[in-house]
Amino acid sequence: MRTYRVQINGREYTTSVDQKGDGTFQVTVDGEVFESEPLTKGNISTWRVRSAEDSINAQTRVLPTDKVDVWLAGTPFQASVQAIGAGGYTIPTQGIGRSHLSGDICAPMPGRITSILVKEGESVDVGTPLLILEAMKMQNEIVSPVAGKVKSILIEEGVVIKKEAVLVIVK
Amino acid sequence: MATLPSNSICNLRQIRKPSSEVARPLKMKLLIANRGEIALRIIRTCRKLGVRTVQAYSDPDRDSLPLRYADERYALGGATPSESYLSVEKLVRAALDTGCDAVHPGYGFLAEDSSFVQACEENGLNFIGPSSAALEKLGNKLSAKRTMQEAGVPIIPADGPVKDADDAADVAEKIGYPVILKAVYGGGGRGMRIAKTSDEARRFFRLTKLESLSAFGRGDVYVEKRLISPRHVEIQAVCDKHGKVVSLGERECSIQRRHQKLLEEAPSVAVNEKLRQQLIDAAKKGLSAAGYTNAGTVEFLLDKTGEFYFLEVNKRLQVEHLVTEMTTGIDIVEEQITIASTSSLGISQNEVQVEGWAINCRINAEDARSFAPSPGTVIHYHPPTGPGVRVDSALFSGYTIPEYYDSLVAKLATWGRDRSEAIQRMKVALDEIEIIGVPTTIPLHRLLMRDEGFVAGDFDTTYLNGVLPRMNANLLTLEKFAAVAASTSRIRNPPTTIEHRNGGTLRWRMAAMAEQVRERVGW
Repeated sequence: MRTYRVQINGREYTTSVDQKGDGTFQVTVDGEVFESEPLTKGNISTWRVRSAEDSINAQTRVLPTDKVDVWLAGTPFQASVQAIGAGGYTIPTQGIGRSHLSGDICAPMPGRITSILVKEGESVDVGTPLLILEAMKMQNEIVSPVAGKVKSILIEEGVVIKKEAVLVIVK
Repeated sequence: MATLPSNSICNLRQIRKPSSEVARPLKMKLLIANRGEIALRIIRTCRKLGVRTVQAYSDPDRDSLPLRYADERYALGGATPSESYLSVEKLVRAALDTGCDAVHPGYGFLAEDSSFVQACEENGLNFIGPSSAALEKLGNKLSAKRTMQEAGVPIIPADGPVKDADDAADVAEKIGYPVILKAVYGGGGRGMRIAKTSDEARRFFRLTKLESLSAFGRGDVYVEKRLISPRHVEIQAVCDKHGKVVSLGERECSIQRRHQKLLEEAPSVAVNEKLRQQLIDAAKKGLSAAGYTNAGTVEFLLDKTGEFYFLEVNKRLQVEHLVTEMTTGIDIVEEQITIASTSSLGISQNEVQVEGWAINCRINAEDARSFAPSPGTVIHYHPPTGPGVRVDSALFSGYTIPEYYDSLVAKLATWGRDRSEAIQRMKVALDEIEIIGVPTTIPLHRLLMRDEGFVAGDFDTTYLNGVLPRMNANLLTLEKFAAVAASTSRIRNPPTTIEHRNGGTLRWRMAAMAEQVRERVGW
């Protein structure tokens, strides 16, 4: 589960997001349960958002900052979305976030994090399994290339990441 | 409501008299002296009829959709309405320069301007609308009332023009409060103020006079009895040049804000067969008395007791004409062109049959709560379609809505075998339509389609005022939906910088930027 602080029109919402097995998300907004189903991907992506009473298609565009443009029911919103908890990191993506600093363990392929095998602060050796990355139905063990302490874990179990996203920092 | 065979579910049913059977072939070249969706609407019928078109356009409309479908384009120059679509001189020159013999004014701009009609007549241009003589008779609100009263049409008690603030208060006293102060030369819902006391009558007289002077060039004001919570019902008619008047039935336009219509439907739940005949008879008498020609609409106010009163004549094609087209299957623009070119109507009264129900939602580029207009670029547009759905719009993805003109960007209309089917289809269509980039009135229409009073047909011209406060609660609900979509978008598409709640962003961003620079310069 991931938790976000979302600001829209000066109001603040806390959202808890759970990715379900079928690719949809269950999202709780200040106690109210919604479902969000991805319909199309792209620069502008489409989501079907359902509550107990209503069902609305929303279009979103993720901006390079923490901003997300949302359009639904003919109404534009701009949301600022910040992750809370779990180290407070959001996942870097291929591109700007890419890093080859020693001890930055990056994803060798795109996939889904099945399990995390270490904790922050734990000591690891070269070859210690850090996490399991599932890609194309294969479970891939990602091992530490360096010895040191796990400084940060930038991902969570269940999260889908892009190739070369930084996963764990070992120092 | 009669049920119809299922094959009648189409947007605009078969024209009863195909254009090939029109008495004389239409050798006409038409200047479109308007813009946006109505220009496109007119062009569509012209193309169907083989009438050549010239689209006059202002600078901001250079890339607009009507220009793509007209046969020729004519640059008026300038951006503001007064430099372009309100310039009698430029438009007449445009028509003459391009060899046009007719002009269609659409609605708004110069559609009801007698000086424009006169200029057309003097230059041998066929104006698709009433003659300047008929316009004169119905020229201002007071003379229209007089014409109607003489024809035996019931009118709302009124008096004026009033001389000054004291005179306004005296007349208001005689008529009885509440009253409405109206600009004699006003229109489009502007130049009107409701007064409940003599104090207000005095104060609002000055305001209405000033407003009228600046908006319409003349400051005459009259005082009219204010009906409590009336409904707005109007009769669409087409009149040929031989005195034949054909009614196309009524429209219900009570869903308004600040006297401006937001949603129209045909027919009206408030009109039974007896009342319908009375309204149609009154409209026909009034139009005949004015010697009216071409398409026109007679507006009435309907009070709680079922009494009706003449409001005004709209001497043009109206925004909401499409709902009548959907219930009658008649192409009103074609009738306009036929009347102008042959003097005769292409249809007779016994051919007109109102079937089913049609509803039109005006999609305006404006804030749904404040109604503040919001020009901007529509980065993505996807219109709904399907059985019984019609969209009249000049929108396209990438279109920039200019700040100079009306905020109406699309008319979304649905037809159903009965009112509830039309409402159901509208709900679906409102869910399908995608307009990204500007705020619109879509959330308000969504709310209305789920509103008990609207669905029951139980509303009047003040009804929307009661719905608006609920818009705030509704937008808060929409905001939660937005928070959901934003959060799940963020999960699937994380930001491209690493953020830490304790401020660990900078080092990472620097490192990443350095990395990029290294890659680019090949270090």
